[in-house]
Amino acid sequence: MNSLSDLQLDALTEIFNIGAGRAASSLSEIVNDEVRLSVPRVQLYQSSEINADALSLDSPRLGAVKQSFSGPFNADAMLLFTEERAMKIVHDMMGSQVGIEDMAEYEQEAMCELGNIILNACLSSMADMLDLTLDSSLPVYSVGATDAVLRQIILETNQPLILVLHINLSIEKRHLQGYLVFLLSSSSLQKLLSHIDRFISGI
Amino acid sequence: MTHRNSIKSLLIVDDSRVSRMMIRTFVLAKYPQWIIIEAASGNEALEIVDRDTPNCCTMDINMPGIIGTDAAAQILAKYPGIRIAIFSSNIQQSHQTRAAALGARFVAKPVTENSVAQALEFFESNP
Amino acid sequence: MNSIPAKKEIAFSGEIGGKIAEKIWDSIKSGLILVDSEGKILLWNSWIAQHSGIPAESALNHFLGSLFPDGLAASFKTALRNVLQHKLPIILSNALHRSPLPLYPLPVAHRKQDRMQQSIIITPIVTSEKKRLCLIQVTDATLSIKRERVLKSHSERLSKVAITDALTGAYNRRFFDERFTAEFGRAQRQNIPLSLIMLDVDFFKDYNDRYGHPAGDKALISVVTALKSQLHRPTDVVTRYGGEEFAIILPDSGSEGGQIVAEKLRAAVSGLNIPHGTSSVTDHLTISIGIVSYQPDTSCNATCFLEAADAALYRAKHDGRNCARHLVTPECGKPCPADTPQVDSPD
Repeated sequence: MNSLSDLQLDALTEIFNIGAGRAASSLSEIVNDEVRLSVPRVQLYQSSEINADALSLDSPRLGAVKQSFSGPFNADAMLLFTEERAMKIVHDMMGSQVGIEDMAEYEQEAMCELGNIILNACLSSMADMLDLTLDSSLPVYSVGATDAVLRQIILETNQPLILVLHINLSIEKRHLQGYLVFLLSSSSLQKLLSHIDRFISGI
Repeated sequence: MTHRNSIKSLLIVDDSRVSRMMIRTFVLAKYPQWIIIEAASGNEALEIVDRDTPNCCTMDINMPGIIGTDAAAQILAKYPGIRIAIFSSNIQQSHQTRAAALGARFVAKPVTENSVAQALEFFESNP
Repeated sequence: MNSIPAKKEIAFSGEIGGKIAEKIWDSIKSGLILVDSEGKILLWNSWIAQHSGIPAESALNHFLGSLFPDGLAASFKTALRNVLQHKLPIILSNALHRSPLPLYPLPVAHRKQDRMQQSIIITPIVTSEKKRLCLIQVTDATLSIKRERVLKSHSERLSKVAITDALTGAYNRRFFDERFTAEFGRAQRQNIPLSLIMLDVDFFKDYNDRYGHPAGDKALISVVTALKSQLHRPTDVVTRYGGEEFAIILPDSGSEGGQIVAEKLRAAVSGLNIPHGTSSVTDHLTISIGIVSYQPDTSCNATCFLEAADAALYRAKHDGRNCARHLVTPECGKPCPADTPQVDSPD
């Protein structure tokens, strides 16, 4: 299995868009402003295709918030943002006057929270729609050179296929593109797809 | 209560095929006689409305091209009689306020039996 | 790859069982609250009791929302509801939420004092009877904020030393190189004007020879002070390019603005009236100035732009010194990469 059917993709996109809607609502409560968050595209990549160009990541550094979840299938969910932009968004959210270059550890906790909100929203939407129960670890934030982060992802999964969600987030005038990467083993992906097929056939 | 039993035509506007399928299924489960038309974008919806003039419409917000609330505004400006339920997972106040200002009903996604029931209740209420 | 380790139940050996768990959570230096799905409090450790001023007896079996007269912050309530509903852990960062719970630094003498800065983690716990509970962990973020502030100010000081010229207090060459690359890139990307001033103290070597190096140093300091006094935007900064040569980057300034600034700088230094007996221009210390202005939609690159500034400065010297000469890109006057179209993709 190297690709998803149109209907499977459509179902996944809708699941994650509902998650994105939930996350946008939570974020707008925090920033007291309108937040736009959408998942325009869900794609299955060969792990060999994952690089900065393919994901059009033009930043030298990448911030990643990771949660590991378990349930009927296990996966690591990682939210990838270009570090500079993400920090700007967090800065705006904090209403802080400090320069971006001074972004400190406790502000990175805020990055963790931003990622946590989006990841939880996507996971909970998946759990609700597919009628399953997922447990999750707490989020961990890390930052590194773009290529190194991507290489690490490929290395860790050691799987031929990686599920990638494209994410657009806008708060006030700032716009941020990110990626939500699901690292699943082949057998976990198979189980996820069987849940989706069950969901579709139940309509 | 005669209006409850009348056959209506419903236009489902959503870029997600799965969402359209779900809305169709839940509506037909309750009203097997209803005529269902589908559109995958706001622009397509505008064309269909001119051609078929349905009684009611469910409208997603986040779609490629013209967004749902704008499409709803254009439809209602031309055909104030059409009842529109705006379906969105984005429950931010701004969307709900816009829907209310248009005279449409805001219904929170996901599409479930319950959320579809809210839309149906709005379609059947007296304007 | 997958990554959640097998869950282990904490087991106490028979000898130390019993009340040991209670002793452990009361020894912990952060707050622990356990609530059930209704928000009823099942655990309230000593730390929370101390910092809230509410003893465990008054808290246990009461509802969390009813304990505090002002109620709970909306974001905290939403988080609690989400954890119970979706069974996923949630972080409330200090940076975004500050002080969600009415907790205070010790001693909690009066409630008028500022609340404690908090970081909160809420995790779902499912009991063996499938009951859903929430564990709320609160840590005092005041200390970590203080530590961050100290680190920040330390690194600010360090970085200031690294980019400042020790003698004149102007920025140094390293700063210029970084800033110039960044500003030139920005001008190109956003298609906005940029001017660069290069200036040189006239006959400075002769000044040193005549008055001695200590006097030369003093003169340079006075020149920098005079230059600074004419620059009013925080983005316009004086950098020591080398020896007696200085560079000033003027972001968002076109050729007209650049020339006005240049003339002001020339007049300010001349106005210092520092006697210079061996100058062949006049009887006091003067500067020669070259200005180059970047015109949007030209294809000049950074190297060529810098060379153009040098060429303008050369022309000012050639034209008799104590004056400013101006060039607009890409009329660099000599073969430069700007003349070949392959440079600078529009990105």
